[in-house]
Amino acid sequence: MRRLLVVAALACLGIMLLYTIGRMPPMNSGSTPDKTHVVPRYLEHGEEEGGAPNIITSVILNYRGYDTMGEVTVIFSALCAVVALLDREKRGRSRSAADISKVKSSVIVRTVVRIAVPVIILFAVYTILHGETSPGGGFQGGAIVGASIILFTLAFGLPESTDRMPLGARIPMESSAMLAFLAMGFLGLAFGVEFLTYALPGIHGQATETIRMLMLMVVEIGIGVAGGIIFISIVFAMIREDRYELQPDIP
Amino acid sequence: MNLAARQPVLLVAVPLVFAATCPLWGMWKRRICFYWALGGMSVTAFLAWSLIGKVSQKAPLTYNVSGWRPPWGIQIRIDTVGLLLACTITAMSILLLLYSYRYVEKEIPTQRIVYYYTLLLLIFTAMLGCSVTGDLFNFFVFMEIFSITSYALVAISGERRAIRAALKYLLMGATSSLTVLLAISFLYSVTGSLNMVDIGQVLERMGRTSSPYLPVAAAAMIFFIAGFCVKAAVFPVHVWLPEAHSIAPSPVSALLSALVIKMGVLGIIRTLFTVYGRGFSSFSEVWGALATVLSWAAALSIPVAAIMAIMQTDLKVMIAYSSVVHVGYIVLGISVLSVQGFAGGLFNIVAHAMGKGCFFLVAGIIIYKHGFRRIDDLKGLGRSMPVTAGAFAIASLSIVGLPPSAGFIAKWNILYGCLQQSQYIQVVLALFGSMLSAVYCFKVVYYMFFTGSNVGAKMDEGPMTMLIPVTLLAAGTVFFGIFSALLMPTLSNAARVLLAR
Amino acid sequence: MNFSRIFHNLNYVVSALLFLMGLYAVTVKPNIIKKLIGLNIMETSVFLLIVSVGMVDNGVAPIVTEGYRNALEAGRVVNPIPQALILTGIVVAVSTTAVALSLCLRVHEKYGTLNAPEILGRDVL
Repeated sequence: MRRLLVVAALACLGIMLLYTIGRMPPMNSGSTPDKTHVVPRYLEHGEEEGGAPNIITSVILNYRGYDTMGEVTVIFSALCAVVALLDREKRGRSRSAADISKVKSSVIVRTVVRIAVPVIILFAVYTILHGETSPGGGFQGGAIVGASIILFTLAFGLPESTDRMPLGARIPMESSAMLAFLAMGFLGLAFGVEFLTYALPGIHGQATETIRMLMLMVVEIGIGVAGGIIFISIVFAMIREDRYELQPDIP
Repeated sequence: MNLAARQPVLLVAVPLVFAATCPLWGMWKRRICFYWALGGMSVTAFLAWSLIGKVSQKAPLTYNVSGWRPPWGIQIRIDTVGLLLACTITAMSILLLLYSYRYVEKEIPTQRIVYYYTLLLLIFTAMLGCSVTGDLFNFFVFMEIFSITSYALVAISGERRAIRAALKYLLMGATSSLTVLLAISFLYSVTGSLNMVDIGQVLERMGRTSSPYLPVAAAAMIFFIAGFCVKAAVFPVHVWLPEAHSIAPSPVSALLSALVIKMGVLGIIRTLFTVYGRGFSSFSEVWGALATVLSWAAALSIPVAAIMAIMQTDLKVMIAYSSVVHVGYIVLGISVLSVQGFAGGLFNIVAHAMGKGCFFLVAGIIIYKHGFRRIDDLKGLGRSMPVTAGAFAIASLSIVGLPPSAGFIAKWNILYGCLQQSQYIQVVLALFGSMLSAVYCFKVVYYMFFTGSNVGAKMDEGPMTMLIPVTLLAAGTVFFGIFSALLMPTLSNAARVLLAR
Repeated sequence: MNFSRIFHNLNYVVSALLFLMGLYAVTVKPNIIKKLIGLNIMETSVFLLIVSVGMVDNGVAPIVTEGYRNALEAGRVVNPIPQALILTGIVVAVSTTAVALSLCLRVHEKYGTLNAPEILGRDVL
């Protein structure tokens, strides 16, 4: 009965969606409203105004940099939420299912992971630093960093990982993206221009370009580091198995 | 450095600095986080309150982040509605933080205190960001921040019902966020812009040239309203609210009821009036129908939720249902499309924030001292906790809507607005709901003051840091009831501008 | 309704169907993990819609390299804004999923099941 109601409601919604879609601008056309109003300026001047040949990076970090500041706040709040629900791991005492299990990962897996992880991290660094001229950027690179450490944790267990990434070092790095954005923002304010403006006045010629490049780079690296570390911290909080005895139920 | 001109962005950036650094203090000493959060919100409150008088709905204070003019960049745009919410948020935030100082001992595990304060700072920042932004997608981003933090804050005590409530809240909240995102993408595909005012202008132009894409914009409006109604807990989609708001720790309940659901209302105001208001002529049918549906849903919700509230035995669940009643009043005032009703709806945002904040904080003090949650257990509490129970009695005047309280002014204007638009059935429903509100509020007051004692008559009040916020909120409801002239003219002007087409 | 237009906008149709599938899973499936999968399908459908909005025929990526100017004159550069928007959207989706999964871990620990009706049946308000 309930399912029938839901299906009926979904059918109504589906008809509405199809009706809307039938009236949307045709796909793949270069002259739809979305491509004629705001975008031409980005495409024409995105490089010199935004400071990055990759116009998407220009949009993300410069034109809509404030949104991206909100975005790094979203992952930071997700981390805070996960940690507030699951708590941090205890150093040396937290075990994951892989550690508790009798079957250890084989020598082959360990060796492959040991060789692969540095290469993956190298690729992540490339993705982060090259986000201005090619597809890539902080978030993508951060995700790759996170994935590499997760791979490492799955092969070697939680204690090995937490020894290499102690909590005390991770906590400052988690807020680094927000702090990088805010620092660049307040730097702009200190130089008398608007919040999150990368082109600082008073410095002429080539230096402005270089400084803008550097500032964009700082933000990208901040996003990359924070993104990676936040994913790692979330996974550490999720895979630890000592949750059950450490957390008495509060009535 | 001219900071005054940059104040709009500082309103978001300053609390964000404090939020980002809060866990770093937690590494050293947990206690510092409280002072850090309190200091941060005090600075922010100063920034917000010093904007009073500099802003009007017609000439909002704007700030182009990164220096790009809209529609290319993101514009911060503080109008009267935004400032009203920003001031309410910052003022409430200080009281809630003060209240949390002792309350965290009771319901929040020690190792989570650092993240409790960080999450509070983040949720305040996000709500401030929502109320001052002029960009639709930016609104969505900040909406996601306060949604994610509120899911966690509901479940932070670790109690099993709290976790279940949070999960239910998350499933509904995430679905509604997606509906809003879908609406944004529909609207973007036909307007090519993300700035609210600019979208309004583009829609107006589209209406003049009778563009073939107008139905898409109209459909987007329906999705927007559907999504924001879930966030605001308007009647048929309020099901997540009673559980989530009642089981969360009391300061969080107060925060969610007083502020977070108002963000859904803000979303309705922003889309219905700022975005679609100017293009009204081209949407008149869909727009009018939506407003009517909203006003009916709101009017129906008032008596239904009030009856649900009467049936409850748990104090906090009762208060949570009462929030649904008041969201009904606010949305009714907004959707009835008269200046007076709209102003009353806006005023009720403040009145309800104070009244409901006070209710939940009082419930928190009782839980803190005695661990009582059931209404039957409150017998004679007025003798041992006169300040707490007195504050509850005063706040209940505002919640019921009796003079001389802020709630009375709000309801009076809302009902007057309904009468102006000849919506008599809505008036009858709302008045009936008010009478039912009197039943559930005064039942508690009666138990507290006029029945035999359950806990003895010895004075046994809660700690000072908890009593001060409660008394201030109760006093605030009376203050704004008597001096409603401080706010009402400004709000009427704002309503006139928003409703002008 | 104009059917030829609907089939011209095939991506939009697929995205609408995915949205409905996701919503069906969220509302009907009893298992919470399946509900979350439904939520993610809905998210993907919205991303597909936004990205499709920005597409052009034979489009090139909006990165200034050799040949970019020619593509720009020909109107073949895709719209960068939707890509920036879904980057934000993806991050939001990942964050929501992370919070939801940690809630699931806790729910499973406290209730011993992930079946929604069974969980809702216990300690009723």
